[in-house]
Amino acid sequence: MVRVLNGFLAFVVIALSGTTAFAQDRPRVVAVNQALHDFAERLLGDAAEVVFPVPEGVDPSFWRPSIADISMIQSADLILLNGAGFATWIDRVSLPRSRVVNTSAAIEDRFIVTESITHSHGDGGEHSHEGIASYTWLDPMLAIAQAEAIAAAVIVRDLAIEGIVEARLAELRSDLTALDAMAQDALSGMDGVAMIATHPRYQYFARRYSLSIASLEWDAGAMPGEDDLADLERLSTELDAGILIWEAQPPREAIELADALGLKSIVFETWAGQGTPDSLFTAYRQAVSDLADAASQFAD
Amino acid sequence: MNALFLAFSYLRYHWARSLVLVLVAALIMFVPVATQTLLSTSERALVARGEATPLLLGSRGSQLDLTMAALYFSEERPDPVAMREVESVWDSGLGVPIPVHTAFSSGGFRIVGTTLDYFDFRDLTPASGRGLSILGDAVIGSDVAAALGKRVGDTLVSAPENLFDLDGVYPLEMPIVGVLEPTNTPDDQAIFVDIKTAWVIQGIGHGHEDVVTAADVAAGTAALANAAVVQYQRITDDNIDSFHFHGSQDDFPASAVIVVPNDTRSSTILKGRYLDSELPTQLIEPAGVIQGLVDRIFRIKSLLDVVTAIIAVAAFAAVGLAVFLSYRLRAREIATAVKLGAQKGMVLRLLAAETITLLLIAGSIAAIGAAIVSRNAESWVGWLLALGA
Repeated sequence: MVRVLNGFLAFVVIALSGTTAFAQDRPRVVAVNQALHDFAERLLGDAAEVVFPVPEGVDPSFWRPSIADISMIQSADLILLNGAGFATWIDRVSLPRSRVVNTSAAIEDRFIVTESITHSHGDGGEHSHEGIASYTWLDPMLAIAQAEAIAAAVIVRDLAIEGIVEARLAELRSDLTALDAMAQDALSGMDGVAMIATHPRYQYFARRYSLSIASLEWDAGAMPGEDDLADLERLSTELDAGILIWEAQPPREAIELADALGLKSIVFETWAGQGTPDSLFTAYRQAVSDLADAASQFAD
Repeated sequence: MNALFLAFSYLRYHWARSLVLVLVAALIMFVPVATQTLLSTSERALVARGEATPLLLGSRGSQLDLTMAALYFSEERPDPVAMREVESVWDSGLGVPIPVHTAFSSGGFRIVGTTLDYFDFRDLTPASGRGLSILGDAVIGSDVAAALGKRVGDTLVSAPENLFDLDGVYPLEMPIVGVLEPTNTPDDQAIFVDIKTAWVIQGIGHGHEDVVTAADVAAGTAALANAAVVQYQRITDDNIDSFHFHGSQDDFPASAVIVVPNDTRSSTILKGRYLDSELPTQLIEPAGVIQGLVDRIFRIKSLLDVVTAIIAVAAFAAVGLAVFLSYRLRAREIATAVKLGAQKGMVLRLLAAETITLLLIAGSIAAIGAAIVSRNAESWVGWLLALGA
C-alpha cells in the first residue's frame, strides 16, 4: 500500500514539474485586446501562452501599463497590436520592434477616418489630429485579415508548427465567414433604421452591414447622468432612433430610462477588454440577432 | 659585482644627469611601442565596430558621415531618412532594421534615439537600474555616468539646438532609469532614449495642457482649440497621457538605419535594391567605409613610423654623445684609477656597468609605461575615438 502511495506521489510530482516546465518553456504572445487574444489562442493552441495584460474593467484603449507590465510585454516573443490607433499606450511605451506585429497593417486602406481635432500650442502653428476608428475586428472580413497577420507572424517566428497553424487559420476563417454571412442575412434591410451607440465603437460593423449608428460618449456599462440622458433624448429625437446599443451590460435602471425614451436596449460587447463570459462568436451572434429582432419590432 | 656597485654609486652621485639620460632613453623606447599599441588597438576597435554592423541605410551622401553618425555618434548630421524605409525593410522580411536618431545631445554627449532591438543587437545590459520602458526614459553609457556624475534617479536635459529657435527644439528633461555596463565602444559615451523620445525633443510629438487629451484624439471628438497652450518639457505620470505625435510615423526621421540581414542571400538582395543612384537612400557596408578610413590612418602611421625612427636615431645619438662626453670629462678620473692599479679591463667593466644600468632602468620604465598603455588601450582608444567624434 505504501509502495503504491509512493508511486502515486512520484507520478504527481513528475507530472506537476513537467507541467511547470512546459508552461515556462512555452513562448509568450501578448495581445492588446481580447479579440486578438482569442484569435491568437485559436491559432496557437497550447504551443504558446497568450496573454492579454489589461485588467478586467479597464478600457484597453486607454490602459496605462505599470513598469512590471511593460517588462513582461517587452520580454514576450510576439506582441500583437491592433493598429488603427487602438491602445494609445503603445505610443508611450518602448517595445522591441522586431517582436511587434501590427495586425491591421494590410487593411490600412480600409480604415475609417473620424472627425479631426485642430489646435495649436507654443509658437507652433495650428495642426490637426485625424482620428481613426479602432474596432476593426467587428467587421468579420477585417477580422480575417487580422487573423491572417497573426498566423503569418506566428509561422515566421516559428512559434508553432506551420501546417497546424494554417489548418487552424482555415477553420477560423471559415467561422468568421459564416458569422459574416449570418450577420448579412439578419441585418439586411436595416439601412433605414437609426441606431444610437453609447460609445463610438461600431463604425466598421455599421459600414459592413450598411447600418446607421450614431454615437454618444458614455462610459461602458455605467449609469448615465442627467446630461447624458439629455444628449440621448436630443439625438434620439433628431434621428428618430429606436435602438440603443450598449457596449457592456448597463444597470437595469439605465435600460428602463432608455425604454422610457422609446429606445430598445441591445448589449453588443465589443471584445476589446476582459470580462466577457461568452465567446466572441456567441456574443456577436446574439447581438446581431437582438439587433435584427429590435429592428423588426421598430419597423412594426 | 664591485663594478656594478661602483657604477650605481656613480650614477646616484650624479643623479640629475643620470635621471635625464634614463628618461630620454625610456622615452625613445616607449614612444614607438605605445604608438604601435594604440594604433593597432584603434584599428581593431574601428574595424570591429564596422564589422559588427552589417549594413547601414541612410540618405544618399557622404558614406563616412553616415557611418560616423550611426556607429560613433559623431556630430556629423547626415540628411534624415524617413521611417518608411524602416518599414520597407521590415516588409521585405530580409532583415531587422534598427533606426538610430543622433541629432541631439545633452551634457556634451549624443542622445541616441533607437528601438529596444539596438540593445539586443549590441548586447548592451544595464549595470544598474533598468532598460527603456516609457516615453522620456534615458539609459546612459558608463562614460556618460562617470563624466557627468549621474546615476539612476538623476535627470538629463537635452540641449536646445539653437538658442534662438524658440518654437523649434524644446529642451526635454529625461529621468535616468539605467546605466549600462561598460563596453569600451562608443555606446559608453551615448545617452540612449526611445526613438519616440527623440521625436518629442524634435517637436514631432508633444504633450500640452488639457485642451485636447489623447483620449479625445483617439475617439475622434470634434474640438477646436486655437488658444496657444503651453507644452510640457518634462514627461511625468500626470502628463504622459497628453503626449501624442503628429502625422504619419512613416514620415518621421531617423539619422540612419542599421540593417541586420537574415543571411548572406538577404544581404545581397537588400544591397541590390539600393544600387540605383537616383534613389534618395543608400545601403552601405560600414566595414568597407571603416577599412578605407583605417587604411588612410595607416598611411599616416607609416609616415609617423619614419618620423619616430629619425627622432629615435637622433635621440640615441644625443644619448651616445652625452655618454661619450661624460667619459671624456672623466678622463683624469680614469687615469687616476689606472695609476692606483686598476686594470684597463676593470675600467671598461665599470663604464659598461654604468651604461647597462642606465639602459636597464630606462627599459624598465619604458616597459611599465608600455604595459599601462596596453592594459588601458581599449578604453583610451574608445575615449580618443569619441573625442575625435
